[in-house]
Amino acid sequence: MRLRVEYRVGPELRFLGNLDMMRLMQRSLRRASIPFALSQGFNPHIKLSMGTVLPVGLWGEKEYFDIELAEDIGIKDFVERMNDVFPPPVLINECNEILNDEPALMKIINAASYKFFVRKSSLDLDLWKDEFTAKDSLVIRSRGKKKDRDKDLRPGIFKVTVQKFHNFDIMEIWSSTGMPLNVRYDELLETMVLTGLDKKNIIDVFRSGNYIKEGLKYFTPMKR
Amino acid sequence: MKDKLFKDVLPRVSKPARYTGGEVNMIKKDWNQSSIKMVFAFPDIYEIGMSHLGGKILYGLINEQSNHLMERTFAPWPDMEQIMRAEKIPLYSLESFSPVKNFDVIGFSLQYEMSITNILNMLDLAGIPVWAKNRDDSWPLIIAGGPVVFNPEPFADFFDAFLIGDAEDMLLEFLDFLANNKHLSRQERLIQLAEIEGVYVPALYSVEYNEDETFKSLKPRFKGVKLEVRKRLVKDLDKVYFPEKPVLPYIDIIHDRAVLEVMRGCQRGCRFCHAGIVYRPVRERSIDTLKKQADMQVKNSGYEEISLASLSTLDYSGVKTLVTELVEEYEKKGVGVSLPSLRVDAFSIEVANEVQKVRKTTLTLAPEAGTQRLRNIINKNVSEEQLFNAVEAAFKSGWLSIKLYFMFGLPGETTADLDGIIELLKKVKSIGDQNAPRTVEVRASLACFVPKAHTPFQWQAQNSIEELELKRKHLFEQKKKRIVLKFHDSRTSYLEGVLARGDRRLSPAIYLAWQKGCKFDGWSEYFCFERWMEALEQCNINPDFYTRRLRAYNERFPWDFINTGVTKEYLQRENERAVKEIITPDCRQNGCTGCGVCTAFDLDLNIKEENHRALKS
Repeated sequence: MRLRVEYRVGPELRFLGNLDMMRLMQRSLRRASIPFALSQGFNPHIKLSMGTVLPVGLWGEKEYFDIELAEDIGIKDFVERMNDVFPPPVLINECNEILNDEPALMKIINAASYKFFVRKSSLDLDLWKDEFTAKDSLVIRSRGKKKDRDKDLRPGIFKVTVQKFHNFDIMEIWSSTGMPLNVRYDELLETMVLTGLDKKNIIDVFRSGNYIKEGLKYFTPMKR
Repeated sequence: MKDKLFKDVLPRVSKPARYTGGEVNMIKKDWNQSSIKMVFAFPDIYEIGMSHLGGKILYGLINEQSNHLMERTFAPWPDMEQIMRAEKIPLYSLESFSPVKNFDVIGFSLQYEMSITNILNMLDLAGIPVWAKNRDDSWPLIIAGGPVVFNPEPFADFFDAFLIGDAEDMLLEFLDFLANNKHLSRQERLIQLAEIEGVYVPALYSVEYNEDETFKSLKPRFKGVKLEVRKRLVKDLDKVYFPEKPVLPYIDIIHDRAVLEVMRGCQRGCRFCHAGIVYRPVRERSIDTLKKQADMQVKNSGYEEISLASLSTLDYSGVKTLVTELVEEYEKKGVGVSLPSLRVDAFSIEVANEVQKVRKTTLTLAPEAGTQRLRNIINKNVSEEQLFNAVEAAFKSGWLSIKLYFMFGLPGETTADLDGIIELLKKVKSIGDQNAPRTVEVRASLACFVPKAHTPFQWQAQNSIEELELKRKHLFEQKKKRIVLKFHDSRTSYLEGVLARGDRRLSPAIYLAWQKGCKFDGWSEYFCFERWMEALEQCNINPDFYTRRLRAYNERFPWDFINTGVTKEYLQRENERAVKEIITPDCRQNGCTGCGVCTAFDLDLNIKEENHRALKS
């Protein structure tokens, strides 16, 4: 039995790395006595595969993992048992059974959205957004695998929205992840700063979603 | 404060999750409902402090079994310290983010002599005066425990009290007393606390020295204050608290696994070994208790590994049964069993084979010295034959990498003994190459011998830095290809030696070294030898007095008043046998060696699983 799980990582755990999060999941699965499947071989491990890496420093509203179980259990039961043993900042939102041949999350997730809470300042976010999205290219030095090469993020920035509130604004940016263009969060932030946004005015950031983008449509990994 | 930390401070430091707390199984008790508030302070980073078993025991004990509370704090890494100082953030606890100066008691764990500068730094970061004499009734009590406090004197002026021995036997008594005597002044409280067995209050004593600078006496300044402090010990490990819900770190720490303490103490009697004396006698836990603890810990933590910890796990009477049964129980759940170090014999390899049915990583053995003669001197009861048998068995059963621990700078050591290390390594390598499917990797770790208080070698002189460096060079010249030698830093070991057998006159130099910026002295990237030497010189202290001097048997030592149960006569006898190159066999196999501890505590060796019984001393 294979399950796809959507979960939340609260702000208290924003400093965990990907390996820390995997360890947290594995140990939670053990504490909850979930009948997970183990891989064969010299060093058996839980067949757990995580979605795209949540960058250190961000929390996430909708993160994903797939888990393979050795025996069938009820989905409701699984969710309850896991939520019982998680530390409070982690909570499963949703869980579905998926087919064994369903491609891995890492292969299908190709877009993500980030929400920025921005303090009011002399910079009008609507204007900034218009200028930002009007640019033909947004070139920075790559921080990823191909270090120190120029990289144009512009084709990977799909959509920017701004919502204005009394004390602050919320800006949401949809961008590409994985292949062919991986817009890293730190690179995205760098271009924002380069185009005039003051980092100090960003009160909080979290990843609001991971998507499978087909054309102009964004599907969550739970509903494709 | 928590909000500022998460939003503003932690994003700017390396490994921010060290400073956030909130782990699974963390216990946060209601501050106002708790009687005495204590913070367990570990003078090194989170990853090291959280790996320490003693802290886990005390944390669970106080929080689960008393109406007091215990929170945790660790030494911040210098990047964090810098921001804390710049932005006036005091040292805080990970549970309630309370400044540590708001606690009633701050308990430091002294695992290593050189961590004293980190303790001063943490007190300072907390805004607490580092000298005990400058703290009035309004300040928390600053206490310490751990192996180092068996010679507390170099640190005496910084602490209000030391807890000597197994703290789970005495900490509740200590805190209960404070809870019931809140009306007393600091001085009155300390005088009465000193009546508790195992508690040493340094301010209640004055020290005199002889004209030749050696220690003369430690005299109580008040009537009724005890003349000697006897350590506390847990008599039966089956009847004592052990944590079944360990705090689960989010980040990768040094030892991140379920721990079973199979026994406490070791009776092998290696003459250099501090822990082997101060934690006598051997007390074992029964297999039934251990299996129950394993079950609870795995259930509550989800750990993927269970480690069998002790000073010499392969000497645990039930080791084979326990390992076999744990492997059988947990293998199918994907939980492994591990042994921290192995005894040098074929039996150990057999047990290790049970454990490592699958993956064979590096095998670690500790012959400690290169020749039989020197092993006899240090009483490391390992013959060359045993070692080679163990190594052959290991390589035949699939290991490809082996790590051997040695010491150099030992008493009576000659060039032949150093050459012996290399010969031994070459032989191990050739046994490996003959018996393993491919070329094997042989690594040796060489520690500088540091004579420690309360050991048979407490009278011995320590090698100078120059001697150690010459020896290191010699070993390097003899070294062969594909044998890796790794040396401990001789200068760190030298200072460790000064503190290990030091006295109260060292405290101004410790203070000055810290003032000059010394901290994280156990970390090579921060250790600054020159600053320490400057500090010692400015305080007119000749460090060679503590390290290089061969002490006479009639000399009184500053730590003699700490009673470990082992007699000075026994230690002297062992030192004399070392000179004569005579071994003293293990009392578990060959009968009592008369160290005195069983008589002192009215105990017998507590062997749980087999009918090994030594004669009472």
